[in-house]
Amino acid sequence: MKRREEINSLKNLERLKEEGMNSLFPSRTKIMVGMATCGKAAGAGEVWQVLNKEVKKRKIDALVVKTGCIGLCQHEPLVDILKPGYPRITYDRVTPEKVGELLDGLVKGKFKKGIMARIDQEEFLLDDTSRRYNKGKIPAYLASVSPYKKLPFYKKQMRIALRNCGFIDPENIAEYVAKGGYFSLAQVLKGRKPEKVISQIKSSKLRGRGGAGFSTGLKWEICRNADGEERYLICNADEGDPGAYMDRSILEGDPHSILEGMLIGGFAIGASQGCIYVREEYPLAIERLEIALNQVRGEGLLGKNILDSGFDFEIEICQGAGAFVCGEETALIQSIEGNWGEPKPRPPFPAISGFRGKPTVINNVETWSNVPAIMARGAKWFSGIGTSKSKGTKVFSLVGKVCNIGLVEVPMGITLKDIIYGIGGGVPNGRSFKAVQTGGPSGGCIPKDLIDLPVDFDQLKKAGSIMGSGGMIVMDDRTCMVDVAKYFLSFLEEESCGKCVPCRVGIRRMREILEDITSGRGEEGDIEYLQQMAEAVKDGSLCGLGKTAPNPVLATIRYFRDEYEAHIKEKRCPAGVCKPLITYSIDAENCTGCGACQRVCPQEAITGKKKKPHQILIDKCIKCGACFEVCKFDAIVT
Amino acid sequence: MISLTIDNQTIEVAEGTTVLEAAEKLNIYIPTLCHHESLIPYGGCRLCVVEVSRNGAADLTSSCTHKVEEGLKVKTNTERVRKVRRLVLELLLADAPEAPILQDLAREMGVTRSERLKPRKDDLCILCGRCVRACREVVGVNAIDFAGRGYSKKVAAPFFKSSPDCIACSTCFYICPTGAITMREVEEGEKARIPEGEIVEGPARIIDNWKVGLTMKRCKKCGEIIAPEFQLEYLRKKVDLKEDHFDICPSCRE
Amino acid sequence: MSSVSDEKFVDEIAKKAGGSSLITILQEVQSRYNYLPEQVLALLSKKLEVPLSRIFSLATFYRSFSLKKRGKNLVKVCLGTACHVKNANNLLEKAKRDLNLSDEVMTTKDLNFTVEKVRCLGCCSLAPVVLINEDTYGSLTQEKMSKILKKYA
Repeated sequence: MKRREEINSLKNLERLKEEGMNSLFPSRTKIMVGMATCGKAAGAGEVWQVLNKEVKKRKIDALVVKTGCIGLCQHEPLVDILKPGYPRITYDRVTPEKVGELLDGLVKGKFKKGIMARIDQEEFLLDDTSRRYNKGKIPAYLASVSPYKKLPFYKKQMRIALRNCGFIDPENIAEYVAKGGYFSLAQVLKGRKPEKVISQIKSSKLRGRGGAGFSTGLKWEICRNADGEERYLICNADEGDPGAYMDRSILEGDPHSILEGMLIGGFAIGASQGCIYVREEYPLAIERLEIALNQVRGEGLLGKNILDSGFDFEIEICQGAGAFVCGEETALIQSIEGNWGEPKPRPPFPAISGFRGKPTVINNVETWSNVPAIMARGAKWFSGIGTSKSKGTKVFSLVGKVCNIGLVEVPMGITLKDIIYGIGGGVPNGRSFKAVQTGGPSGGCIPKDLIDLPVDFDQLKKAGSIMGSGGMIVMDDRTCMVDVAKYFLSFLEEESCGKCVPCRVGIRRMREILEDITSGRGEEGDIEYLQQMAEAVKDGSLCGLGKTAPNPVLATIRYFRDEYEAHIKEKRCPAGVCKPLITYSIDAENCTGCGACQRVCPQEAITGKKKKPHQILIDKCIKCGACFEVCKFDAIVT
Repeated sequence: MISLTIDNQTIEVAEGTTVLEAAEKLNIYIPTLCHHESLIPYGGCRLCVVEVSRNGAADLTSSCTHKVEEGLKVKTNTERVRKVRRLVLELLLADAPEAPILQDLAREMGVTRSERLKPRKDDLCILCGRCVRACREVVGVNAIDFAGRGYSKKVAAPFFKSSPDCIACSTCFYICPTGAITMREVEEGEKARIPEGEIVEGPARIIDNWKVGLTMKRCKKCGEIIAPEFQLEYLRKKVDLKEDHFDICPSCRE
Repeated sequence: MSSVSDEKFVDEIAKKAGGSSLITILQEVQSRYNYLPEQVLALLSKKLEVPLSRIFSLATFYRSFSLKKRGKNLVKVCLGTACHVKNANNLLEKAKRDLNLSDEVMTTKDLNFTVEKVRCLGCCSLAPVVLINEDTYGSLTQEKMSKILKKYA
């Protein structure tokens, strides 16, 4: 006979589910605006305001709601219209000016032209079902619009961590529950067997998505079995790798998935306190998390005696203060404790002795968001995706010189070619693919020749890079690989905590040599010296930052030695990037004399009459690159 | 007791012993720089790295911080270890080429200054942290600390101004391995200027780096110099002694 | 020198500090003053009985803290990798030229602007990106950025 309270709290979840389903399949028209940071940066904020105003003014019977990032960031602002009985329609690159037409179409009963895609059904990944939006046949004029799953960008994707982003209103807990949310937690708490949870996560073979790729289940087990009464749980939302923003999207688009993951993890290891450490550069993520935390507390899903199971758990948010090194787990713990972010030697590992000396589990945002899905669908399902040692999917931020910039989630084992060309659409502006940087400042670059490389933890490592947090920066022939190595070293030089000599001084001195090379002061023997120093810095450094800092240098030397040699021996930058080694000039054949460059030159270093080829006066030129930016005829060359 | 092997020699030591301490017991020499027996092991200079292996995998670790583990196999002088030690010295020599201790260590290990690295001038500090750690852990005053991070990290008094908490005990001066801290004793009757500060009359002690200059207290009985007044006042208040406790020097009190 | 309002503020913070980390407390100070004034930190040190050198250490370790007065408008130029390969550095140099700043002085004399480097804002799809206060501007060129800066002048 179930206890009254138990029935009541499960009833509560069922009530929320119903509410959520009515929200996902509303009886009124719903207009969804992508309001993640990338959407807002593209102008979604203004679109949101104008939409709300117009809907009110025209007395249109429609709800206007926010949603997270669906991944196709380059096409933001995205506005979706869900009219009852019709598929969901997505409009891209919406401006405040276009809102009027959009609403005209809606009122008249016909959708405006230029629809990017249609979404026919809502997927319920957690119970492997789906439900169509439309009743009956799809109208003829919509049939020609591509279903979003058939868009090249989405065709090969499989969204587990990103399952709800762009589909639910992140500030509406009912929608999260309707998509299966918190039912995994309910099952876990009902079963009351923490060891079973750990064993399921272990069997799924989930590996940490933050960079190191350590077995999540094993980490939880070590923590649970460690000495001590109290345990602690942390979500690492410090996402410091420049170019990576998948964690931000999950935090802004589906914060509850992390909370549920942490609750399940807390129960499994026997913790009653958790903390989400978010970098301060993500104010919207912090805001969404705070809203979500208030909601779960209100529904009895956080706090004392959750779902009447006797399990207590509380989560607080801790804000970072601008230190990349605090993404390293021991430094992160130092920061939460109020100290400077100086990593500590391991052993002891945090799972044995972490926050205030207690056994602590730290996992990345993406790792946490996978947990409820694994509990719902089972370890076998998850381990059936991916390669032999890398299971499940990975979210990548595909950025740089690629046509379709955005967030993609793909099964492990997919090739780089499929990601960059299949999903990304290749390199734009007629340029050629040169390399792709993975793993951020701790990773390396993969060159053209290895484009067929299947992407997983081990393959990337073999090729001289790492998976890292999933940043994937595509580079073309106008990217200088020596400059890229210098860039990463400069970044790490500023972020090094400064405790140990190999990292603090080694990175600085390596960067100085790269500075020499990119300025025409490179010396014979520099490449070998860099390699030698790199190996010793890797071996001698105290923490992961120092140990992986030399990777970009080693990788670029391995695959692009010829570029280094051109810089050193010929004092030439083949990609035309390193300012001391290039001069800007105008190709008379391409120049139309439009004068755009002349207008933007801050030094008045460009001469020429209208409609006649212009010239750059090298003595006055400060190489700011403004002319290069504005020329539409490819006439500025370096 | 924990049993481990260092350079193929087995030894049994108490739990909590570091690999460095265990090696010392075996008379195996491991060079150190940031380590000091009165301070909590730091693991910053990386000179004391050794190779440890468990279950087949070999890793480098700082022997001063690494606590012994049952069955640990340690090698103190492999090629990997030597490369790291050479790197550390090469880098530090470029930063502080005039520091005698670095020159000695370099000679010992056959390392010479690299021509490729531009030498840094006018700063002997190698950020070993001994002064900061001593001030914090031993003296307990915390008058100085690290400021900034990365290569531009420095040891400083707050705001790079005169340290309000320094008691001029001179521990930092004595514990600094390179002589980066300078201290001057101003004789009776002489005057000297505190860096960026006022003139102070002797007897006084000036620690230039923290821009501190403190007048020394004399014994009311024999006239000998005891210690800086500020320091004695700090100690007196901390231990709650009488107002005139330090008016007489220790020998006169007897 | 600290003012009465400074003392009041520090008293308030110290009261609700409880188990708060020192970093959280410094974040609150910066929220209020837009930087970390020396006199307020000295007061904090006394009130919380924490060595001033420790507070100074924290304030200088973390990049988000500023010990110098910052301008009304915070211009953050993103130098993340995606922005770097799209020549974000040129944008930074342009901002410095427009506002008459140098590597050492990144705040205008009239305290209207402070330019900071940041890595990364997470808006890589719109690289290169600049954040001014709470407004994000993407797909910038030097010309566009100059125009935007004038709006805040």
